[in-house]
Amino acid sequence: MTFSRLTAASAAALFASAGLLSAQDASCPIKVGVLHSLSGTMAISETTLKDTMLMLVEQQNEAGGLLGCEIEAVVVDPASDWPLFAEKARELLTVHEVDVIFGNWTSVSRKSVLPVIEELNGLLFYPVQYEGEESSKNVFYTGAAPNQQAIPAVDYFLEELGIEKFALLGTDYVYPRTTNNILEQYLKDNGIAEDDIFVNYTPFGHSDWSTIVSDVQALAADGSLVGVISTINGDANVGFYKELASSGIDAADIPVVAFSVGEEELSGFDTSNLVGHLAAWNYFMSADTPANAEFIAAWHEFIGDDSRVTNDPMEAHYIGFNMWVNAVEAAGTTDVDAVRDAMYGQEFPNLTGGTAVMNVNHHLSKPVLIGEIRADGQFDIISQTEEVPGDAWTDFLPDSAVLTSDWKDLGCGMYNTETETCVQIKSNY
Amino acid sequence: MRALVRSNPSILWFLGLLAAFCLGVTFLAEATGTGAISTSFVKTLGKTLCLCLVAIAMDVVWGYCGILSLGHMAFFGLGGYAIGMWLMYARTEIIVSASLASAAIPPTPQEVEDAIASQIFGVVGASEFPWLWAFADSLVLQLAMVVLVPGLLALVFGWLAFRSRVTGVYLSILTQAMTLALSLYLFQNASGLRGNNGLSGLQNIPGLGGVPQSVVSIAFFWVSAVALALGYLLFAWVVSGKMGSVVRGIRDNEARVRFLGYHVEGFKLFVFTLTAIVAGLAGALYYPQAGIINPAEIAPIASIYLAVWVAIGGRGRLYGAVIGAASVSLLSSWFTGGGAPDIDLGFYEIQWTDWWLVLLGLSFVAVTLYAPKGIGGLIDLVAERRAPSRSRDLGPDASALRKTEAAE
Amino acid sequence: MLRALVLFLTALLACAAPPAVAQDSQLQAILQTHADEVADPGRRSVGPLIDDLAASGLPGIARFLDRWSNKQVFLNAGDGLFYYGARDGETFALRDIASDEPVGTAPASALEEIRPNGGVRRVIGSALVQFQLSDPDRATRVDALDALARRPAADQLEPLRASIEGEPDPALKARKERLAGLLTARFGEGTETRVAAIEDLADATDIETRAGLNRILASRSEVAETLPEGVNLARVLEIGPDLSEADAYSRLVDDGLAPAPVTNAEVKTALTANIQNGAVAGIPVEQLSDPDRRTEAYAALAASGAVPPLVTPEAQAEAVASHVFYEVYEDPDPVVTEAARSALDTIEARVARFQVLDIGLDAVSLASIYFLAAIGLAITFGVMGVINMAHGEFIMMGAYTGYVVQQIVPNYTASLVVALPLAFAVTFAAGVALERLVIRHLYHRPLETLLATFGISIALQQLAKNIFGTQARPLTAPDWLGGAWVMGDVVAIANIRIAIFVLALIFLCVLLYILKRTRLGLEVRAATQNPGMAGSMGIDPGRINMLTFGLGSGIAGIAGVAIGLYAQVTSEMGSAYIVQSFMTVVVGGVGNVWGTLAGATLIGGLQKGIEWFNPSNTLAAQTYMILFIILFIQVRPKGIVALKGRAAGD
Repeated sequence: MTFSRLTAASAAALFASAGLLSAQDASCPIKVGVLHSLSGTMAISETTLKDTMLMLVEQQNEAGGLLGCEIEAVVVDPASDWPLFAEKARELLTVHEVDVIFGNWTSVSRKSVLPVIEELNGLLFYPVQYEGEESSKNVFYTGAAPNQQAIPAVDYFLEELGIEKFALLGTDYVYPRTTNNILEQYLKDNGIAEDDIFVNYTPFGHSDWSTIVSDVQALAADGSLVGVISTINGDANVGFYKELASSGIDAADIPVVAFSVGEEELSGFDTSNLVGHLAAWNYFMSADTPANAEFIAAWHEFIGDDSRVTNDPMEAHYIGFNMWVNAVEAAGTTDVDAVRDAMYGQEFPNLTGGTAVMNVNHHLSKPVLIGEIRADGQFDIISQTEEVPGDAWTDFLPDSAVLTSDWKDLGCGMYNTETETCVQIKSNY
Repeated sequence: MRALVRSNPSILWFLGLLAAFCLGVTFLAEATGTGAISTSFVKTLGKTLCLCLVAIAMDVVWGYCGILSLGHMAFFGLGGYAIGMWLMYARTEIIVSASLASAAIPPTPQEVEDAIASQIFGVVGASEFPWLWAFADSLVLQLAMVVLVPGLLALVFGWLAFRSRVTGVYLSILTQAMTLALSLYLFQNASGLRGNNGLSGLQNIPGLGGVPQSVVSIAFFWVSAVALALGYLLFAWVVSGKMGSVVRGIRDNEARVRFLGYHVEGFKLFVFTLTAIVAGLAGALYYPQAGIINPAEIAPIASIYLAVWVAIGGRGRLYGAVIGAASVSLLSSWFTGGGAPDIDLGFYEIQWTDWWLVLLGLSFVAVTLYAPKGIGGLIDLVAERRAPSRSRDLGPDASALRKTEAAE
Repeated sequence: MLRALVLFLTALLACAAPPAVAQDSQLQAILQTHADEVADPGRRSVGPLIDDLAASGLPGIARFLDRWSNKQVFLNAGDGLFYYGARDGETFALRDIASDEPVGTAPASALEEIRPNGGVRRVIGSALVQFQLSDPDRATRVDALDALARRPAADQLEPLRASIEGEPDPALKARKERLAGLLTARFGEGTETRVAAIEDLADATDIETRAGLNRILASRSEVAETLPEGVNLARVLEIGPDLSEADAYSRLVDDGLAPAPVTNAEVKTALTANIQNGAVAGIPVEQLSDPDRRTEAYAALAASGAVPPLVTPEAQAEAVASHVFYEVYEDPDPVVTEAARSALDTIEARVARFQVLDIGLDAVSLASIYFLAAIGLAITFGVMGVINMAHGEFIMMGAYTGYVVQQIVPNYTASLVVALPLAFAVTFAAGVALERLVIRHLYHRPLETLLATFGISIALQQLAKNIFGTQARPLTAPDWLGGAWVMGDVVAIANIRIAIFVLALIFLCVLLYILKRTRLGLEVRAATQNPGMAGSMGIDPGRINMLTFGLGSGIAGIAGVAIGLYAQVTSEMGSAYIVQSFMTVVVGGVGNVWGTLAGATLIGGLQKGIEWFNPSNTLAAQTYMILFIILFIQVRPKGIVALKGRAAGD
């Protein structure tokens, strides 16, 4: 007790003395903007991330703050309204003058914020798995790119399960569309005929799944093994899995791998009929490591509810925030350009074991995990890869295959390796 | 003009207040004044002016003509899409030509177009321009689209609806179905307007890359203010004089006006289409300030909010619509933005981000029940006290409220 | 021997508990030789291990395979041996792998749970088949047959045939016979046996049979200059209908039968590489923004031999025309493939008819959901001429009532029995309150009612969010509603949907009874037709309005429970149904139960019909449906079933 207080005090003193040098660079308190919807349709997912950020900030302050300053979290509510995201980002950067923003969930909200962040040279940490095909100088993507989630999951289907026909079911918006485009090309490259790929898009919150499920079942009529790749988002999953269960589709008959179904989503229904279906993420709450146990305990204590689950985007914020803290300490300032340079090559241990590394394309190297749904709403991790570096531009679409992103040496996020020119410095939005 | 002002004394008041407000904002803005008002707030105010404009249009079609359209935000959104297409195209064209110019061989026109298309549509996994974008390279043609697309849609829809004498609640629901169908259509990636992502980065005006947003925002603010002023004048003219009387007559008793020999459908169609065009223009000014337009903006709820603003502000009064739109939308962003302090009741803490919508919903019921004239009614009370007028106000009269809306 | 000794010693050192008897088991020894594969099995690599196990003929093999695939085998890090384990608090109770005798406990940290993935489980399952076909436990036999159907193999035919004789369960016996027939058709000896088996299959529609026949008909596509003799030809592909010319040409390129066409990008690269003094083949670079000039420059380069020549479209067409594209059956026996083809054709014709039935049932199910959601709205609209925008929120309220009841009453069946009437009561009360507090004051102002109830709707939705959160809440159907009614593996309709259909029927009858046979119904009909006259006949319009509003809302509550059982319960579920309900009412015609039924049927059928034509985009179906409704109103502005009399308006 006394000892730990002593170390904390000495650490604080150490930081203070180190901070003196850069006191003119970092004005106290250091402000961290949190741009997550607290109301509207996305509040369901994003509120958890806001709480995660508050917890991380609190932990960092207890550990002595940053550069001798307290960290202050500035929380705003963009209310799941995409134009409002841009407005609130501008407010954070110009009115509250935050040093960094952690936020966004949907791709469209990120696209809404991008022009503002780039115009004002802000810094955004984006924690959710997304469709790739983007690289911004001012954004660090701590969630999975398609090659860190979708491609390994399809590999698992092809290699481990021997799936011969694929049903790509998704909600009709940009993440499923782009991911499915990439996957279709990838499957064709792997010798799956175009006729053996069934694609369907449904609206947000879709509830009438009977026809689609029987369409999927009909695929198996030629004796092929059918697998479903689901990018179905949010609530609609409830109806989809209920229909699967009532049609008696067992994971052994038609396995479903989902990219948007995690612990949080599974708490919305009874999983006893879904045992054996799959999900691919970079993190599962059931990961058996000391770091994860500690993180879960801290989360339960912070939120005051032992039944709350943790999920992949929370881990992304955990890694992103800690990397940012380390980068700020390395740079000795919160200045965006200095911090960005210090971010490259930053390493931080994953909660699932191994080490995440920030690459020059602003994406992380992270392991890919595949989990089977258990009856208690958690996942059995049945496959864990080595760290996979995130790829901003997919190798499986001809237009993107020639592009690469390197903000450190090339200073360009959209560099055409064939013509050896930078297509554009700003990102595409 | 003088006659118009005489019949509508509110015009002078309105224009005067609007001018004073604009000058005040200009003196406090970052680019042109002290900087007391942040750029993001200038944008909010500019957007609010556009909302006021579409609210006036809504007031004319509902408060004066008695058509409760639950689809006017569709026209607003279409205007935004029309201008957004040009903004995206022109901006991307600049980027692409700069990038292709450095190649060893000059690009063919086809290559330039393909590169623009894959930049714009890469995000939705396509790389070709749909036919919708045929005119996107021309500002003039797209500006024409801002007027033509909402206008034509309103004309066709209105003609179909009014011709078959769909009125009252039925019409409201049909207009709602129209906006729902449109938003569902646009939600599809295959619609050619980038699906759920919509058009983004609209605040970056092509060719003005070097101009800071603080200047752009104040410019748009002024343009929006001028548009609002002109819109106010236009609609004040429409609802005054003989045509205004006929329009109000249609609201109060459609059958009687028809028996008097007026072509009711023609008047309704004119008002419906005109207000749709103005809504489209307002949208074209709104979305470059908002920065992004997507199908959620056209969802039925948006149009219902529009009706709510007008009802709270006071129907049948142009200034009522302005007051309603400005106050409710600004209050809304103040409450949801966490600006309002939480109230601690001891046993429960009221957080306005959670409870604002409950308050809005209930206050809306209260206004409908107890103050059908809305906030504008208060102004009438004051005006009445200062200069009692012999003529009745132009709002729906008691009998109109009670009987003929129930024709269906 | 030495290895066993080492194992023995390490085990003894690491953990004293397991008795020595465990060590000399042959099973453990086999597992140890494949230790890596047992601990981390892969679908492709697990074969040798399974073969070794099967070859050993040890008694505990079936038990091991079964538990292995059920994640009950553990690797003890201490002694490197495999055990069966069961969690017991913080520790695990271990059992010997061969004898299944308890051998002590180990802490969770020392054990690694072995988790074979789905692909491995499938392989294990099919290895287990021969052990389980005659298992006394019926469920095990069903598992074995499922595994057999999933991964049919030639060597399973004999054990399967052998097990048919002793099968006590008639249903399983039939299934075994069918599977045996299927296996004979695929793997049997001799053309006649197989053809006979195939012909027996022609009266089935199930997915296993179709899969088996399709497997017999598996073909590969080939290309050659002339059609070869002596192959079992499936069909010749025609250029145009079967295969596009571009695809055909790329087949030729892939097979090395034609040169690859030069793409525009390649042209550009070639030109860039051959720039000399600001010109390519004499054509100045700045003129190369013209595609014609580019072709010219490239042709000049090709003429000089610097680049491969362009492949003209004519050359491509010629290359395609001079080849024949065809498909060949993998099975060399033409008699068998012929029989399979005709059997499959018969089956597929039947399947197509069933599919129409299936889509019809889906449409009926959707229609009954729309009917339940809309009927309450239709009644209130008919009687009072007001549209209740908060109707969707009453649906939501009913669903949440079901959720709350399920939190208190854990038994799903009992909770459903409680939830249905309770949901009715709650929403009935809410409806009456809304009518008394708000709508009563706005009679004859329907547009204002529309807006006021909309205010209520926003408030209720947000209130639900504040109370229940934005996360979807579980509302689980009891097990007896869980499965599906399946016919020939084609027609499948979830039991819960059948239940909703029955519920809709019940409400249709109840409403018809109330409206046609009771005093209240008479008064309601009177008030619908002519409120003024009804009032002067002594009917209290206030009371009628209140009761109809309550009744309409109550049905919405029940609809909410029903919808929640098959879909998600969220605060926004109401708004997903409200517009659909309006459409139903408007299309069907106001104030008439039959009208609503007709409207719901039309909309449900239409939506499914459009989905059927365009299965990849459900969103488009909804858009087209709304467009259709807008046009429909042009033709019949009063809906399908129009009321006659004063209430018809105008």
